[in-house]
Amino acid sequence: MELKLTVDEAAFRTEVRHFLKRELTPEVWQAHRDLNEQGMWTPDFTKAFRRKLGAAGYIGMGWPKEYGGGGRSRVYQAIFWDEMEYHRAPGLDRSITYVPNAIMALGSEAQKADLLPKMSLGELSWFVGYSEPDAGSDLASLKTRAVEDGDHFVITGQKSFSSDAHMADYGWIATRTDPTSSKHRGLSMFIVDMTLPGVTVTKYPTLAGWTHHAVHFDQVRVPRSMMVGELHQGWKVVMGAIDFERAALSGAGLVGYQFDRLLAWCMQDREGAGRKLDDPLVQDELVRLAIEAEGARLMSYWLASLHAKGFKPQHETSLALLVKRETARRLDVAGLELLGPFAPLRTGSPWAALEGEVEVEYRDHLYFQFAAGGFDITRNVVATRGLGLPR
Amino acid sequence: MDITIDDDQRLLRDTALAFAQKALTPARIRELETTEHGFDAKVWRQMAEMGWVGAVFPEQYGGSGAGLLELALIVEALGQAAVPSPIYSTVVEAGLLLLDAGSPAQRENYLPRIAAGDAIMTTAITEPGGGLAPGEIRTSIKPAGNGFTVNGTKLFVRDAGAAEGIICLGRSGDGENDLTLVIVPRDAPGLKLRRLQAAGGEALWEAIFDNMTVDADAIVGEPGGAWPHVARLQLRGAALKSAELVGIGQASLDLTLSYSKTRIQFERPIGSFQGVQHHCAEMYRDLEVSRLLAWQAAASLGEGLAGDRETAIAKAKTSEAMPAVTRTAHQVHGAIAYYRDYPLELYYHRAIAAQAAYGDAGHHRRALARLLREDLGRFRGDSPHDLPVHYV
Ligand SMILES: Cc1cc2nc3c(=O)[nH]c(=O)nc-3n(C[C@H](O)[C@H](O)[C@H](O)COP(=O)(O)OP(=O)(O)OC[C@H]3O[C@@H](n4cnc5c(N)ncnc54)[C@H](O)[C@@H]3O)c2cc1C
Repeated sequence: MELKLTVDEAAFRTEVRHFLKRELTPEVWQAHRDLNEQGMWTPDFTKAFRRKLGAAGYIGMGWPKEYGGGGRSRVYQAIFWDEMEYHRAPGLDRSITYVPNAIMALGSEAQKADLLPKMSLGELSWFVGYSEPDAGSDLASLKTRAVEDGDHFVITGQKSFSSDAHMADYGWIATRTDPTSSKHRGLSMFIVDMTLPGVTVTKYPTLAGWTHHAVHFDQVRVPRSMMVGELHQGWKVVMGAIDFERAALSGAGLVGYQFDRLLAWCMQDREGAGRKLDDPLVQDELVRLAIEAEGARLMSYWLASLHAKGFKPQHETSLALLVKRETARRLDVAGLELLGPFAPLRTGSPWAALEGEVEVEYRDHLYFQFAAGGFDITRNVVATRGLGLPR
Repeated sequence: MDITIDDDQRLLRDTALAFAQKALTPARIRELETTEHGFDAKVWRQMAEMGWVGAVFPEQYGGSGAGLLELALIVEALGQAAVPSPIYSTVVEAGLLLLDAGSPAQRENYLPRIAAGDAIMTTAITEPGGGLAPGEIRTSIKPAGNGFTVNGTKLFVRDAGAAEGIICLGRSGDGENDLTLVIVPRDAPGLKLRRLQAAGGEALWEAIFDNMTVDADAIVGEPGGAWPHVARLQLRGAALKSAELVGIGQASLDLTLSYSKTRIQFERPIGSFQGVQHHCAEMYRDLEVSRLLAWQAAASLGEGLAGDRETAIAKAKTSEAMPAVTRTAHQVHGAIAYYRDYPLELYYHRAIAAQAAYGDAGHHRRALARLLREDLGRFRGDSPHDLPVHYV
């Protein structure tokens, strides 16, 4: 157990922090922030910023050297994710985290050679096409069909809740290739070029303000070379990729930032009312939140340490994400309470507190509870995969 | 950074657990709860022979120079097996206090015998006020002749009945922190002991000092200089009780898992019911978070860092979360575990005692609130981030 960063890790943290402060100045925030977008950044800025991350070597730094990566340990990756989240930087999403990891682990040599170099430079944007109107938590019931036709597959169907599909170069698409075998057995995974004929994207506004999408596939012809893993073995690919996804989402920075922001608010001397911090009840609330936040931070670095030491954590990944997201939700709720009458004031409003972010996040983070590692599904996973309880 | 224990530490924990789980039967553990000293002397000797009693002492005193994290792993294993022992009184309190503050002669006299399992020692600190603040200490230590007289009442003295000596904290002057430590032989005239009947496996005593006299060389550390050493002792105790609470939680979860896989109701193992599964997942979640917090506390104290924040966080969390785990464990067990011959009750009781020891959750949250008001840098754990004051 080594509680502190090594000299080299600390230097790396400082370097990333300086990079982020230099790139994300208040003027940049002003110019490129749009609360109608996920992560509050416009698509163009997100893409440009992702290229900068690539040029700085941050995207591939944890990848093996054979794929053009920097071969650095998972602790460095965790530090990077932590800083990115803390500074609420754009671009920390599937395009640089779990899709490349999944391709590395599960893709063909040709896919790796073609895609990974570009992804390490931040040049590709992705969306993940798992969910469908009738396939949510029960993902294996998905219906989108891929029908073999020579050296192509023809994909037809609909994906829903498709984050960032409007800015994606590629889709990571789960399909059904064998409707006759059991649910989990007949699936195959494809990489789909979003410029192919037959792909259309429709928009839906979310209650968090940003736009979400559905993607329709109408007889889209995808070369067989874009299948990931073996035919009908898609479920394995999905499960492998989901582990990467959960690991990448479990960074410590979000919770750290949420806490610090509330602390800063409580320390402010408010006209006539003094400091929130001088109220013993507020102190107790902040202390309780700090305890939970510290637990989430340790879980995140614990996971990275396990990877760095060559262990293969599985349900632990789900557990760390659960702890982080439950803590984030507690902080959202505490934020509403601590802001009092200012809580409902939206970004841009006169007198908005903390620029209205607490209210935005209270809405936005709602999805933590049920999407991609939702609380109840995660408890199922932890109980069965982790604790061995019977299904 | 590395938030895992290494291979040697894992081995130590596994060995300690394997030993502890075989050392005593549940029936024998229950029987020990009714004895005067509360522990099994043979088991204590075996623990000394395995090197665990002496682990944290330097080699010159017969120890192996291990850190507090190693001791935490041992205590976690003892907690998980519900094995009672004088490890808190003798090692965590008196032994490390003597190492910290004792004279060379005192260390020479006590530490090798402690490490060998030959001497039980304890400390007497808390008073009827029940708190851990220096201002609460009323027991007086006054110069008299060549030595001192001690007067006062101490509570929650661990293993007093079995101890060779008791290190007593008393007031030697008017300042709030004007406190002194003296070693008192247990059989000295003027010392009256009464066993408290308490939940959990520890033998707790009342100790009344009634005009007891001690020699000048009974003083431990500087006269009037006791408080920093005692504060350190309290932190150490809190960090290690956090680890013990983790052991208690682990045992409760393990019992719950095996029961819910085998208990059949409605033609199914109850562990296949989602309500039960979610109870178990919640227990496991809190257990793993608590474990990391407890390890962090022990490691930071062991490395000689301040460790106050880390310990307060760990004890505040484990004192709430692990008793809750024992309650949920009973929820899943139903009636069977309401009976004393089912082992879960051992942990239910131990959790009551452990959450109260060395400061309960409220005490440690108050300590954190004090850091929040008075030392923001420490409160934030030396975070590398500047507070985002740009908004406000
Ligand atoms: C903001 C956001 C972004 C998303 N981005 C993507 C994306 O990019 N790509 C993608 O493919 N999908 C995406 N999704 C969809 C997401 O993966 C689904 O929300 C998720 O799979 C759950 O499906 P559902 O919402 O249809 O809920 P349902 O599966 O219908 O579940 C409804 C409720 O029932 C509970 N429930 C269901 N089954 C069980 C069970 N067995 N045990 C206990 N409780 C159960 C759930 O926990 C939930 O509370 C996104 C969703 C949101 C909100």
